[in-house]
Amino acid sequence: MKGADNLYSGRRSVLKATGVIGATAGLGAIAGCLDDPEGDDDDDLDEIVITQGEIIENPDPNDHITGPYFNVLDPVYEPLFNVTPEFEFEPRVVEEWEDTDEGAELTLRDDVVFHNGDEMTAEDVAYTFNRMIDPDLGIESDQAAGLGAIDNAEALDDTTVLLEHEVAPSLAEFEYANYGRVVNQEWIEDQEQPVAGDDEEAFNGTGPYEVVEYEPDVQVVLEPFEDYWGDEATLERVVFNQDGESSGRANALETGESDIVDNIIPEDVPGVDDADGVEIREETSLRNVFLVMKSGVEPFDSTEFRQAMNYAVDNEGIISDALGGYGEAMTQPIPDGVFGHNPDLDTYEQDLEQAEELVEESGYAGEEITLYSPEGRYLNDADVAQMAADQIDQLDNVDCSFDTAPFPDISDANSAGYDDEEMPFFLIGWGVITGDSDYGLAPFFVEEAPQETLRNEEISEAILESQTIEDEDEREQQLQEINEELREEAPWVFLHSQDSVYGVREDLDWEPRTDESIYLWELDS
Amino acid sequence: MAFGKFLLKRTLQGILVVWGVVTVLFGLRAVTPGDPVNLIVDPAVDQATRERIRQELGLDQPIYVQYADYLQDLLVGDLGYSYQASRPVSTMVIERVPATLELAIAATIVALVIAIPLGVISGTRRNEPADYGATSFSLLGISTPNFWLGIMLILLLAVQLDVFPTGRRPVAFHDALWTFLTTFYVGDLLTWLHHIILPAVTLGTYFTALITRLTRSGMLDEYGKPYVTATEAKGIPETLVRYKHVLRNTMIPIITVLGLQLGTLIGGAVVTETVFSWPGLGLRLISAIHNLDWPLIQGIIIFIGVSYVIINIGVDAIYAKLNPRVLDE
Repeated sequence: MKGADNLYSGRRSVLKATGVIGATAGLGAIAGCLDDPEGDDDDDLDEIVITQGEIIENPDPNDHITGPYFNVLDPVYEPLFNVTPEFEFEPRVVEEWEDTDEGAELTLRDDVVFHNGDEMTAEDVAYTFNRMIDPDLGIESDQAAGLGAIDNAEALDDTTVLLEHEVAPSLAEFEYANYGRVVNQEWIEDQEQPVAGDDEEAFNGTGPYEVVEYEPDVQVVLEPFEDYWGDEATLERVVFNQDGESSGRANALETGESDIVDNIIPEDVPGVDDADGVEIREETSLRNVFLVMKSGVEPFDSTEFRQAMNYAVDNEGIISDALGGYGEAMTQPIPDGVFGHNPDLDTYEQDLEQAEELVEESGYAGEEITLYSPEGRYLNDADVAQMAADQIDQLDNVDCSFDTAPFPDISDANSAGYDDEEMPFFLIGWGVITGDSDYGLAPFFVEEAPQETLRNEEISEAILESQTIEDEDEREQQLQEINEELREEAPWVFLHSQDSVYGVREDLDWEPRTDESIYLWELDS
Repeated sequence: MAFGKFLLKRTLQGILVVWGVVTVLFGLRAVTPGDPVNLIVDPAVDQATRERIRQELGLDQPIYVQYADYLQDLLVGDLGYSYQASRPVSTMVIERVPATLELAIAATIVALVIAIPLGVISGTRRNEPADYGATSFSLLGISTPNFWLGIMLILLLAVQLDVFPTGRRPVAFHDALWTFLTTFYVGDLLTWLHHIILPAVTLGTYFTALITRLTRSGMLDEYGKPYVTATEAKGIPETLVRYKHVLRNTMIPIITVLGLQLGTLIGGAVVTETVFSWPGLGLRLISAIHNLDWPLIQGIIIFIGVSYVIINIGVDAIYAKLNPRVLDE
């Protein structure tokens, strides 16, 4: 038996050695020789992989209002205008535009075709706008709120569209120039509403890229559209991947599987910073985060009490500790860079003594309040709110506790009116995505507005008046004055504008924008 | 008890379990705060439109009417509609099943390939260093949370050593196989293999440890039985006894556990799929929870529940065939 054992162990040794060699060779072959479509170690920019926390909810370009979705859909359903990082509008599909007594007249290019071969017409453009503002055409578009000034769209001839409105031309321009992604009326009317589908057939835009692969929630792959009217697309292949985990996106960047990743959280920043060939790039976004205080509910019906809350909170400290420095302190309801922002205003510096005095003056000394926050909706939101609540609780004459709540609950409270008592003090965010103050003011401070949090007749009328001022400078001044007045009224505890933090391949010539857009035509290596 | 009656009893029990899952899910949805309409439309949409949507979806009906409607829809296979994705839930569930099945089966294969030899070595070399090594490994495997293991494997083998990708599934197995069968191009299959190894090891580690332990204890149990002594006394070689008799008998309970674990792996892939961005049911469930997409959450959980019940009934049926004594118990 001993001899047999030796024989067996001899065979085992051979098998083991063969196994090890085979496994090593196999791994080597797999790791080294694969033509992995996601691996992208080339230095040139023929192919680019962008990994976002989310890609698109559905393929309909008119149904959403979320920044990352625009990034994926804009190369396919191109914007009507080029929007510069400074929020200036340049011709694209629209060659010329002017305001008349009836509204804005857009003159379109006559050589634009859809990916299915149909020519784009003025009827398609008019239909696109009407589809977004009129729910009877099939969808409850999230973009309707951003097109509040546009009453109707009509094709005047083959290349001219009239957008009827009764507001200041600059306000209307901010709206229509931000939201027009043209759809093919005939094609759309044959689709489910909103456009659904789970393959490349669910897309039909006029942009420089067309979708060649689509796996919902996973991946969208684009390749150049050969009949595009403009300059040929420079990238041969673009992959948008979805990865909901910040660490996953950071890992994909570090291993070269991705070239740009979005929303790197502060905890993952050092890892990316230390990795070779990649770096962090950031830009302050137009998304404000603030604490709503409903002015129709005690003790927030007192201006002094609301001001006291602002003096109690150290928003610079919160940015430093909870956001790793990735934020800008707010001085008013509107972030810097937006039309109508008032650059002369300062933040409320933390001053606990003054806060306590103001609480005494308000007559609400000894009040107990609760601050609610969503968890995971905004960058480290619960940590931010917890810090703010702790700082308010430091006041001798106010007890402030903290609790988290599901976001739909917070959203309900936000839409429940300025005097709804169920949840009068909560953290929420708002992106002023049109680049015009009106989008950040009207929903909150006009009487009976959907998210009214402050009832102030004077401010409400001033906002409505600003919508009709035709002179751009005069309108800007009016908006700045409104922002100044709102700073004094303190309807919110002004916290910060979030920074957008990206991980980017070092040799990539691309800078983040305040509007969080990633336009493929702005990429270069 | 006849086999048919046994199967009927198990099926009825399964239906009861599924009904329980459906009812609990519906109850959870009903008590979850927040207006479902907020999940469908932008917060800026006016009240009249919200009311219209509420009516269209039947959300203005009493809760028992909503429940009855929901059960009725489920009975005809309608899992509902995801208003966020604008797609039927059943489609969204079914399209993710292959990825999860691939992962569950790959994890099972990883487990069997490692665990059976390890368990045999451990069982036949009791109290020797190999046994200590195998039992330590199985203790470690059972105690290691798979989210931690997955992250560590990514950091070590993907980020540091660049041997494997960090995750994702660039090609489906059935597509890769079809390409291979029609063109003899093996690249897609290798790409698939390259991407599934880390997730499969992560998901399969606990299972590997479990099977190693079962194999070891099964082997030890069988070795103590008289038939082993008898066969050895006949002069049959030890290797033959070990593999033909002892291991074969040890495999019966392992096969039972294998079936049950496949159901667990399908449901338990949530964490692994999230860590590796593996586009299966688990990743979709996490995304649905994040978006509070209730129809989708319900659809996925019901699907997992039904799969688990069906696999259990199947395993029970096989076991009853293999061991008819359970019919009398």
